Amino acid sequence: MGFAPRPATQPWASVNKARTAYIVLASIVPIFLTALAVVFTHLNQNVALMGVFLPLQLLAACLVGFTSFGKRGVGDAALIVLVIFFATFVLVLLSSVVVALVTEGAKAMSWTFVSQNNIYVSNTTSLDYGGVGHAIIGTLLIVGITTLVTVPLGIAMAIYLTQSQSKTKGLIRTLTQAISGLPSVVAGLFIMSIALTLGWERSGVLGSMALLPLMLPTVARVAEEALRLVPVDLRYAALALGAPNYRAFFQVILPAAKSGLVTALLLGVARIIGETAPLLLTVPINNGTSWNVFSGNIMTLPAYVYGYLTSAFDSSQSRAWGAALVLMTLVALLFGAARYFSRTKSLKSKTTKQKASK
Amino acid sequence: MSESSAIKPEPVRRKLAAGPLSRGDKWFFRTTSIAANFSFVLVLFILVFLFIQAFPALSSQGLPFVYGSVWDNQADPMVMQIGPMIWGSVLIGAVGVVFATPLAIALAYLIVFLLSNRLGKIATALVDLLAALPSVIIGLWALFVFSPVAAEWASILHTYFGWFPLFQVSTADNGFGGSPFVAGWVVAIMIVPIVTSITREVFSQLDRDLINGALALGGSRFSTFRRVIFPTSAGAVVGAILLGLGRALGETVAIFYVLQLSFDINWGQILEPKGGAVASMILAKFGEADKAEVSGLIAAGLVLFILTLGINFLASVIVNRAQPWRKN
Repeated sequence: MGFAPRPATQPWASVNKARTAYIVLASIVPIFLTALAVVFTHLNQNVALMGVFLPLQLLAACLVGFTSFGKRGVGDAALIVLVIFFATFVLVLLSSVVVALVTEGAKAMSWTFVSQNNIYVSNTTSLDYGGVGHAIIGTLLIVGITTLVTVPLGIAMAIYLTQSQSKTKGLIRTLTQAISGLPSVVAGLFIMSIALTLGWERSGVLGSMALLPLMLPTVARVAEEALRLVPVDLRYAALALGAPNYRAFFQVILPAAKSGLVTALLLGVARIIGETAPLLLTVPINNGTSWNVFSGNIMTLPAYVYGYLTSAFDSSQSRAWGAALVLMTLVALLFGAARYFSRTKSLKSKTTKQKASK
Repeated sequence: MSESSAIKPEPVRRKLAAGPLSRGDKWFFRTTSIAANFSFVLVLFILVFLFIQAFPALSSQGLPFVYGSVWDNQADPMVMQIGPMIWGSVLIGAVGVVFATPLAIALAYLIVFLLSNRLGKIATALVDLLAALPSVIIGLWALFVFSPVAAEWASILHTYFGWFPLFQVSTADNGFGGSPFVAGWVVAIMIVPIVTSITREVFSQLDRDLINGALALGGSRFSTFRRVIFPTSAGAVVGAILLGLGRALGETVAIFYVLQLSFDINWGQILEPKGGAVASMILAKFGEADKAEVSGLIAAGLVLFILTLGINFLASVIVNRAQPWRKN
């Protein structure tokens, strides 16, 4: 193979226009042919997607790959087509969930729905009456109690995993990760077994206890990563100045890792706020508003969705979708806040740098 | 050499121990160590309390509890056996993993190697959003939106590949709605994020020089993936898939509505609405269970816990071993 004449100004080959045209053509033609097949032969769309479009697209991409790069272009083309196809598939599924939630949930959404409770509401009551207010209160109370207990516990765990010299750290880390896969229904059964053994009544606080093992691994893992991001030199410097470990933690590491720990809290709450099975097993449901988590019935958002989901009536199904939308909004808020807190750190370090330079 | 110097007693080796000195530090580390060991306590407590409550059922049912396939709460000595449910859980988990693995690997590859930094971050956020969807919302969506579509896929599969044993059904009249195929898809959607996030992390921590070297030697994207990226990250990917399987086995509410429960073992006809899953069964039967039956359900939970803990622990060991950068 001879050397191609080098262009005068640039050491690299100029963009091959024919190749670009081929690539554009290869991305359009398969879709076009598939659309034609669907319109004219009334082929099932799913069959057309998997049986006509994907093979055609693969073929077209491989052809372009072969004409442009020879044999080695074929594998590349197939890889890229498959990767994009699969990724688009997941994106379509995700957006399907979100679109369904928003369109169906919007039917029920109103100030009444968010603020009122469900007393005197039956399966067929119109959406002008009743709502998820009591469920929002219940969810916030139950999740709040879990958070109060779990976050210090998870952070203490993270401290141990990052700062102690113990040899069992690896085992604890592995075990915590294994617990993160605890089936939620088992968490519920566990607390129910405790209640049955000790003779406790079902109540909101049992639900909080059932959520703890589900939240703990998330908090511990994210907090561990947050603490690990703090330069170890900071801690050594504090220790070298004579600070005891706990002061080094509270006065040096904690302020530095604050935003990361807030992220841990938020992600932990987002993890459990939608948990359903443990609450169904441990918390008795209620149609009225209740502020008492220690005894009596109390409603939660997931239980509300669960309760109205299988009802055959339109208004009930709308209630389920509406409650799901409220739940998703809470999760999205937590999630967005978590992103915000984990992002501000870089900004902060910039501003401190600027201050230092002044 | 003189004898006396050899006899000289070897100095005692001093052990360098930097333990906490002040009282505050002692309490600090004591507290954190108690918190850290809470993991062990938690697992132990779960086992103990589930066992206490499951004991009546386990002792009356004996070993057939795990492999038998009858559940009769009307019979006088109640018969409770969960063989089909365990097998169903495993089947659905396997189907879910088969669907989720290519999707997750493709997503991770896309995010790390194909997309720009900015787009990759957006894609990561979307995957995390998928992970954050509560299972009851997935269940709601699966019941009303997804299961008709998936049932159509199943019927297409049956029409064109019905000769293949996996896709045979006894009769197409039942529809395909409650089949392990549909539930497997739902579970796959639930586990794609976890497999993706671990795979993505492993991909992004691969030695760049290795990849650039492979490309410089004339490798294409495909050959680099097949011969460099895949072999070096295969261990962690297997761990991630196992972790996904553990999740899939425990998935409760998401598949509760789309799955048909029947105490009849489904050996692998994934399109047949037959079989079930342990977690779904517990939720389905819990509402009207009396004390003896609750004990049986807790026993089922115990079996599920031991199964998932085993898989998850194995998976965590594999993943942690494959991610040395996470160890201090």
